Amino acid sequence: MPQSPSLSAAAGPKRPTELLRALFRRNETVLLVCLVALIVFFSFASGTFLTTRNITNVLGQASLAMIAGIGIGVVVLAGEIDVSIGSLVGAVGIPLVVVMNQTGSLELGMAAALLLALGVGVANGYLAAYLGINSLIVTLGTMFVIRGGIYLYTGQRAISDDLQLESFYQMGNGRLLGTVPYPALVALVLLVAFVYLMRHRPFGRQIYAVGGNPEVARLAGYNVKRLKFAAFVICSLLAGISGILLSSRLGSAVHVAGLGFEFQVVAAVVLGGVSLAGGVGSLLGVALGVLILAFLSNGLGMLNIATEWQLVITGLIIIAAVAFDELKRRRQ
Amino acid sequence: MGRITVTKFLASLLATSAALAVMTASAIAAETPKKIGYVTNYATHEWYQNVIKGMQDRAGQLGIEFEVRDANLDVARMVSAAEDFMAQGVDVLIITPVNEEGAVPLVRRAKEDGVPLVLEGNPVSGMTTMVAICDYDTGYHAGVAAGEYARDKLGGVAKVMNVGLPLLSATVLRSNGFMDGLKTILPDATMVHDLDGGGNPDRSLEVSAAALAQNGDINIIYGINDSSSQGGLQAWKAAGKSQDGLLVVGTGGEGLGFINMMATEPSYQIEAAMFPEKVGFTSIDAAVKLFNNEAVPAHIVSPTTPMVGTDSWKQYYSVEGTTRTINWDTVNAVVPADKCMKTAADL
Amino acid sequence: MSETTQAAKPAPVLGRLAENSQIVLLGLLVLLCIGISLGSPQFYSVENIIAILRQCSLVLIVAAGMTMLLIAAEVDLSVGASLAFSGVVAMDVTNKTGSVALGVLAGILFGGAVGLFNGLVVTRLRVNSLIATIATMMILQGSVFLYSREAVQNKHQQVAFTEISTGYVGPVPIPVIIAAVVFVAAFIVLRYTTIGRYIYAVGANQKAARLSGIRPERLKLLVFVVTGLLTGLAGLILTSLMNAGQPTAGRGFELTVIAAVILGGTSLLGGRGTLIGTLLGVLVLKVIDNGIIILRWDQNLQMVVPGVVIIVATYLDLIRSRANAR
Repeated sequence: MPQSPSLSAAAGPKRPTELLRALFRRNETVLLVCLVALIVFFSFASGTFLTTRNITNVLGQASLAMIAGIGIGVVVLAGEIDVSIGSLVGAVGIPLVVVMNQTGSLELGMAAALLLALGVGVANGYLAAYLGINSLIVTLGTMFVIRGGIYLYTGQRAISDDLQLESFYQMGNGRLLGTVPYPALVALVLLVAFVYLMRHRPFGRQIYAVGGNPEVARLAGYNVKRLKFAAFVICSLLAGISGILLSSRLGSAVHVAGLGFEFQVVAAVVLGGVSLAGGVGSLLGVALGVLILAFLSNGLGMLNIATEWQLVITGLIIIAAVAFDELKRRRQ
Repeated sequence: MGRITVTKFLASLLATSAALAVMTASAIAAETPKKIGYVTNYATHEWYQNVIKGMQDRAGQLGIEFEVRDANLDVARMVSAAEDFMAQGVDVLIITPVNEEGAVPLVRRAKEDGVPLVLEGNPVSGMTTMVAICDYDTGYHAGVAAGEYARDKLGGVAKVMNVGLPLLSATVLRSNGFMDGLKTILPDATMVHDLDGGGNPDRSLEVSAAALAQNGDINIIYGINDSSSQGGLQAWKAAGKSQDGLLVVGTGGEGLGFINMMATEPSYQIEAAMFPEKVGFTSIDAAVKLFNNEAVPAHIVSPTTPMVGTDSWKQYYSVEGTTRTINWDTVNAVVPADKCMKTAADL
Repeated sequence: MSETTQAAKPAPVLGRLAENSQIVLLGLLVLLCIGISLGSPQFYSVENIIAILRQCSLVLIVAAGMTMLLIAAEVDLSVGASLAFSGVVAMDVTNKTGSVALGVLAGILFGGAVGLFNGLVVTRLRVNSLIATIATMMILQGSVFLYSREAVQNKHQQVAFTEISTGYVGPVPIPVIIAAVVFVAAFIVLRYTTIGRYIYAVGANQKAARLSGIRPERLKLLVFVVTGLLTGLAGLILTSLMNAGQPTAGRGFELTVIAAVILGGTSLLGGRGTLIGTLLGVLVLKVIDNGIIILRWDQNLQMVVPGVVIIVATYLDLIRSRANAR
């Protein structure tokens, strides 16, 4: 019986097949199935994959890209992009460790790190949203400036954590009840908060509107510039948090930290179904995209697959996933 | 559908725990470690390929299972890879840190986990032992050889272009050692240009071209690795200069590149050989000792030596097609220093 | 804004340049050259100028293709990885066949094949080109090591192979001539041919272009292939210059190329840009790079300065185009 799915969904009791079809029309469901399939596959292929220790490890490892990915997700949904986050993730470690070494206070160090992130976000946002310079150009520029700045300031040396504060070590390396890595908890809290913000608050709806069609958003009375500015600031702050956690995992401020991170995160965000054209996608999808890439990397490592194959496989999967997503979108 | 997934999960869970039980039971009885994991900095680089080759050979001889994970120059990946190995339950871990400061927490985590850890290449505070060459000494002895060459064949003049890499303390030490060694023979030797060639050939070529254009009187090119010396030399050739009166000194002896250059380029006369295969070999031995709780020095020095003259490499390597084979007899006969003249701590 | 009014008065050549919004860059280039040569007279030595031009030609060859791509509202981030791989292929085929001509052909065609792959993924599978070419970059960076684990040396020391980069025709280095030919050809295509006009049309408004009978997919595919072929050509020159095919070469090259193109005023949104601008962009970036070494400044500035210049130049361009629009 040829029947429009939306019609039957609206009227009458839902049949299981219809429900399933409706579910599968959701991008997140497809991603979730992919993630589960991946986990099942690796569980069988490698004897050491499916252990609590390994799974929680991956969740901890993925959390850095997850936190930054939320920020990139917001910026991309607003119709912009930020490729300076890799440099920023490396940069925030410097004020963090320097201030911590001088004052002995982790809190002051973190405040200094977030202040730097805020500054970068304001700069990116001002240049892109208020002056109207293309955001890829702006953030490509700040990416160079920040990385160069790191090298100039540090003389291309890592800055060590002289005081060896226990709290600093625990933040990135410790586990709640010895199981769940703290970075994973931070990522989860931020994810829940931002999913709520983007779905159920006016701010979220406005960001979608601005990214989907700025002209319409303007006519609807939204302050397009201010919203885009806010997206950049959020993105930088989240990258800052990610950088603080990375710095803790490295026990220092490493001048090469975060090199290439921006591409990893953008790839995960797009894999998660967020359109680079803006306005389409969800943060839940972003989270799943990040997890898929993290489990893929871990699993391929467990199977002892060489880097060169890992790169090839990951590249092909990204193309296939985005192409599939695009195909689905066109069918609808 | 959901039920099938759950059953499969349970089945694989059972399989995993069974496998784990078998592994722990057998590990107690063994004297050599069952499994060694190596986290490398940059597996696709020729240097590390040959380090890995040396490790695989040695592990194979001893009947040890050996696995490699590549950080691919990413510090975050270095941490993840080490974490994965510890979760997998390797008996000994070997790490070449992407950055030595960034590996400090890993040293602590390995200790908490009871996994013996061998560092390769760079020292990390809190570590038990490290296998590494002496970078400063390597540069120093090559510098002495270069000084002698310049005294005999270049009229005692030494104006050096250093195609360096300030990013790593190891490579800075090599450059410093080279100049200090050179000055023991020719006290008036000068470093005319101190460049950042990024350690890769194309960037080295680019920055060298600019420096050579500015200072036409450069007569020695020193590269902190083979890519850097090659980039410097190719910039020289591209400028249309004759190689008469030029000396090129490379460092590493990483792969086939330096052999090819020594064979074909008249100015490429000195190579500070660092024998990556030997580094790998020694690292596995150190890992076994650590596993057996034997006492090991904090720094196990892997030997280096300058090779001087077009055919000098043939003493240590033979080449067939695109594979080179190390001559263990001559390489093992190179005596390593007891202690490095200078280390990163002196910078 | 003041630049436009100033530039509008003098000779027509300058006036045209101002219309094409290149005057800021030209001014910047002149200022840079004067400034650097005041600090270090060797800047104007023949060797240095040749060294700069040789570096510029590598970037310019690829940037010519990238300019067309950006005008067509697409981008290719895989050019750095493709540069290395095609060089490795060129050297390897030269070694295996003993023929430099075949090696050259193989290298260029390999680059073209990568372009074709990118083009198909973008136009047929409809994958956004930014993400598609990041993926291609990963695939190439991985597979180049599957192809050859070490640098491929010029085994038979073929002089003809090294001549590609180090040879001269009269006083002019061969790579500069190649770059000039590529540049002029691309310039003519963009400026005076139907294809050129179509590229602008597709980039400015794909839907409108389609309605007027243009097939955007075909056109974009073509531009991807051209960019790929040019990348293969540049990879060949780089390999000749290094006398070896280096799998690790080309890291970050894509960013240099894109930086030069956008510095030259080509819009990332498509539909707007000129090759003259790209030429100036390449020159400015490479002169800065060279000047920092010649002046013996901290080499870390080689990252900071271009970053600032790109933002400032784009901003000035934006102000001017807004002023013109008014």
